[in-house]
Amino acid sequence: MSYFLEQVLNGLSYGLVLSLIAAGFAIVFTSTGVLNFAHGSVVLLGAYLVAVLHDTIGFWPALLVAMAGAAVAGVLINALLVRHLADKNAGTAAILMLGVDIVLLTELTRRIGNQVLTLGAPWGASVVRFGDVSLPTGRVVAAGVTVVAFAGLWYLFSRTDLGVGMRAAAADGPTASLMGIRLSRTAATGWALAGVLAAVAGVFLTSFPAPGVAPTVALSAFAAIPAWVLGGFDSVPGAVVGGLVIGLTSALVTGYESDLEQFVGTGFGEVAPYVVMIVVLLVRPSGLLGSKEAVRV
Amino acid sequence: MKHLPRARALTLAAATALALAACSTTDPGESSSAGGSGSDEVETGNGVTDSEIHVGMLTDLSGPFAAGAAVQVTETKAYWDQVNADGGICDRDVVVDVQDHGYDPQKAVTLYRSMAPDVIALQQVLGGPTSAAVLPLAEQDDVYVGGVGWAGTALQYENNQLPGASNAIEAANAIDYMVDELGMAEGSKVGVVYFAGDYGGDALAGAEHAADERGVEIVAQEITSATTDLSAQASALAQAGVAGVVLAAAPTQFASLAGVLVSQGANVPIIGMNPTFNPSLLTTPAADALLANAYSITSIAPYASDSEGVKAANDLYAKADPDGAIGWEVPLAYVQAELLKQSLDGACESGNLTPEGVVAALRESSSVDTKGLLPDGLDYSQVGQSPTTTVYLSKVDANAPAGLALVDELSGPSAESFSYGG
Repeated sequence: MSYFLEQVLNGLSYGLVLSLIAAGFAIVFTSTGVLNFAHGSVVLLGAYLVAVLHDTIGFWPALLVAMAGAAVAGVLINALLVRHLADKNAGTAAILMLGVDIVLLTELTRRIGNQVLTLGAPWGASVVRFGDVSLPTGRVVAAGVTVVAFAGLWYLFSRTDLGVGMRAAAADGPTASLMGIRLSRTAATGWALAGVLAAVAGVFLTSFPAPGVAPTVALSAFAAIPAWVLGGFDSVPGAVVGGLVIGLTSALVTGYESDLEQFVGTGFGEVAPYVVMIVVLLVRPSGLLGSKEAVRV
Repeated sequence: MKHLPRARALTLAAATALALAACSTTDPGESSSAGGSGSDEVETGNGVTDSEIHVGMLTDLSGPFAAGAAVQVTETKAYWDQVNADGGICDRDVVVDVQDHGYDPQKAVTLYRSMAPDVIALQQVLGGPTSAAVLPLAEQDDVYVGGVGWAGTALQYENNQLPGASNAIEAANAIDYMVDELGMAEGSKVGVVYFAGDYGGDALAGAEHAADERGVEIVAQEITSATTDLSAQASALAQAGVAGVVLAAAPTQFASLAGVLVSQGANVPIIGMNPTFNPSLLTTPAADALLANAYSITSIAPYASDSEGVKAANDLYAKADPDGAIGWEVPLAYVQAELLKQSLDGACESGNLTPEGVVAALRESSSVDTKGLLPDGLDYSQVGQSPTTTVYLSKVDANAPAGLALVDELSGPSAESFSYGG
């Protein structure tokens, strides 16, 4: 029973980190209609900034700088590249994002080299024990931070003018614009928010039990795509639910692989999130919590 | 939208350039006009002139392995400069043509097509998918290909030279070591965590063979390079009660697995295949776990080996790039060049300094020595089998150069009884 509980906690805590990334995908999609395939590289950028800065300014200030840096990167991608394209052709924007991803990832790979950079996180490799069950401290912190982050997002979207404006712009951009909402402002805010979430997720994705910052982190971040899709492209709560479902699925399928092997063979843990995504989309084509009107490419 | 026309124009230009590059009309197997017989009556072919021998290197200078590849390029160039200073090969200087495939198999094939008419051999095609794409083409053209890693699938090609034992031999030795030296009892369970693909699949095959031979049971966990958090895998292995783990993955997986296993109270030995270890892992939170439980099995002598060959490789690299990153890439690049040099020398001595002559010289080598860079007595006369069953076992050690202290050279009973296709 404790083994089952351990895998469940593993899966849920990992799922919360995925949901941070998935929420970034969803926010960019709702604010500018862009499928942001450069998001994985922004996650890596955030983690990289913490890794190179923590020695000189300390971990927490480095995290703040990384959040700001990733937010600026998002705003710049939007201002320089996306603004001219997004309204006209979402497909072109998606391809453009793949290009941005390659450029950013190549540069970060060049800088990181074959090293595994450490983050200097204060929780190191420590674990928290609940009876027979242990969980890395980093994951416990991640869970706490993620809950706070989503509470903040909820407040932003439901209680502030800016957030309500973003929702209005997402629901009907031209009408929102006629009502006085500046679409350029809501778009920039969306990209900045996604950048901040990416940096925070990057830190937790590279903290113990992961060893540190390596270029493959950008690939790991793409594990959040099934979470984003099955939650519904345009729903932040959907991203949270999707992240938890995917995290739990990965952990349980991997954890019980020896029992499942006779049915599905080895390595099913890597495939299972996509199977779940496809099954959910077959039953609910708009995802778990997505709007039925969502534009897909 | 004003950006689009320029982007389209650039794309079109790039595609045209690539298409043109792929349209080489020269048959790689044809003797080049620049060749012809020299004054020493040696028959020559592609890549050989009266004064130069051109060898190729398809590597990854812009993709995921760029940093380690750059180390290998530096060492390779320094090696051939040294050979040239000593008189070259067959009275000719060796010139290395380095091209960047960026870990893209299609690009590797295109580069191979454009390079093949102008080189006598390829010292390296770095990367599993890239070399898998190039090897069959090069075999048709009778072009030697070295430096493709250690996956057993490459052994089927007559033109390929593996720098030491294959991954299956490494994994079989890992289990032999656990049983013979680390006291693993019969009936124990051994975890095998491996990348899907040639590298991991070969290691799993070797481990399964050894498990049958030594009476232990394999608990396999397949992962991909995107799996950087191995919590779920480690929990499953700890739950299964494994007495040791063999890992055929990359450094991030090595550190994660070691760290999580210790955090769950599973203090068991973990033996990683090359290239699972990187010295920078000792700065991560998993350092203590690695120092306590981790070993590395390599086909090539580690950087810290005190053999004559490794010392020569390290000294050469230190002169070529005093501030360069150190690690297993240094002796590997040196020995890949050394292996090719031996085949080039053989081709010269037999009077056939052509691509075919180099492959023939390779396959006539049944006892190759490299001054301790690789195990002695490498046998390349049998296509399809690992050239040796001996590997190097090192312990992760913070005081050793590049973080690995050589413990022993091993050739266990399971490794010796392993046979491809048998």
